[in-house]
Amino acid sequence: MSDYLKNFLRFCIIILIQVLVLNKITLRWWSQPAGFPVFIPYIYPLFILLLPFETPVWLLLLCGFATGLTMDTFMNTAGIHACATVLIAYLRTNVLSALLPKHLSEYPNQSPGVKNMGWVPFLTYCAFLILIHHSIFFTVELWNFSNIGYLLLKIIASTATSLLFILAYLLLFTKQTALKS
Amino acid sequence: MRNFILFVRRFFNLILFLTLEIICFVLIARTNTLQGNALLSSANTIAGIVYQKREDVVYYFGLKRMNDSLINENIRLRIALAQTQGVDTLKDSSVQRKITLDNDTTHIVRFANYVYRNARVVNNSVTSENNYITINRGSNQGIKRHMAVISSTGVVGEVINVSNNFASILSVLNVKRKLSARLKDGTMGSVMWDDGKPDVLILEDIPKELKVYRGDSVFTTSYSFFPPGILIGTVDRMRINKKNNIQVLYLKSATNFRNLQYVYVIENTLLDERRELQDSTKKAK
Repeated sequence: MSDYLKNFLRFCIIILIQVLVLNKITLRWWSQPAGFPVFIPYIYPLFILLLPFETPVWLLLLCGFATGLTMDTFMNTAGIHACATVLIAYLRTNVLSALLPKHLSEYPNQSPGVKNMGWVPFLTYCAFLILIHHSIFFTVELWNFSNIGYLLLKIIASTATSLLFILAYLLLFTKQTALKS
Repeated sequence: MRNFILFVRRFFNLILFLTLEIICFVLIARTNTLQGNALLSSANTIAGIVYQKREDVVYYFGLKRMNDSLINENIRLRIALAQTQGVDTLKDSSVQRKITLDNDTTHIVRFANYVYRNARVVNNSVTSENNYITINRGSNQGIKRHMAVISSTGVVGEVINVSNNFASILSVLNVKRKLSARLKDGTMGSVMWDDGKPDVLILEDIPKELKVYRGDSVFTTSYSFFPPGILIGTVDRMRINKKNNIQVLYLKSATNFRNLQYVYVIENTLLDERRELQDSTKKAK
């Protein structure tokens, strides 16, 4: 299967999972009296994170913009998702080259994954970019710094939850035999 | 010129990045003025169809609960009907009608003319700062912007975007707008949303001296685009703001936004006329 087709299918699957399943799940970490905000996990930045190593930055940016706008359409947020996603698409190459031992062009036809990066670097990469994505997203959405504790709580809690769901996605949708080797 | 082209080629990625971010912020800023853009909302056809398909599947799991709420609403409506029908016209020479509805002192609404349309909720959210609901009725079915939306138990929101067959509603759970409200004795206030908790609303601007009890109902007023006397919520707890001696009431919202399935869209046929008059009065000053 060609790379383009594979990534397009992955885009569709991730968007559908996000829109049809995850948007319906409202989570809270503990119950009502504490007054913790409800939130939903976002796994759609994973599409940007899993594009092949060699993708040029301009293509990453356009992909990020398209993904963000799709999510905005479904969630009525008009540009907030796109703004956060374009930012992580821009930072992705720098983060990857900081985390990998070799130059990015030395990984032909490969995508970032547990298989070729190892668990710790890959999770660092995911966690860092997801954290940035969520920080930007919630800051722009709230647009109000009077309640910084609430904002930070929301960012940290939903980053942690999103990471759990991303792990679940990776374990479900990657070839397990390849992982063991 | 050559230097300029070299500059563009060197910083192409950065320039593209900045351009895209600027586009995003323009989009965000345009939405925040509440004009709304029809293309980028879940009222557009593709998003609407996807949500409709999902709702077709999820629909069956809520049938039992919906049945119960519809029966409760029927009972309420029958009681209201009985109050206006059970009038003994032969008892005295003059017609005696004892209607025990809320004492309503505003006169505009007496002449308002409401048309109700039902609609099914195909998408719903409670987690964002501004929550939107998508319904499966649009301009083909006569839905227009600024119509009020209620559920069988209480207020839901306002129509803000319409496509041919779908419409998006800004639910009461938003941080953009306040809703005019009154207590049973007529004290007015404004209801806003305590963000984060989908079943708690806040009623502000209530004087400290006013005795409010737990379980008191809060209704809409005719100041807003809602018909008056629609339940917003019931008082759950009271708190007095020490700084300005004003009472803040925490309401339990009447509508359960988590499992909303059917809503009514209300058209006030005289609303346009009223808006026009109010606007021209403002301008005349």
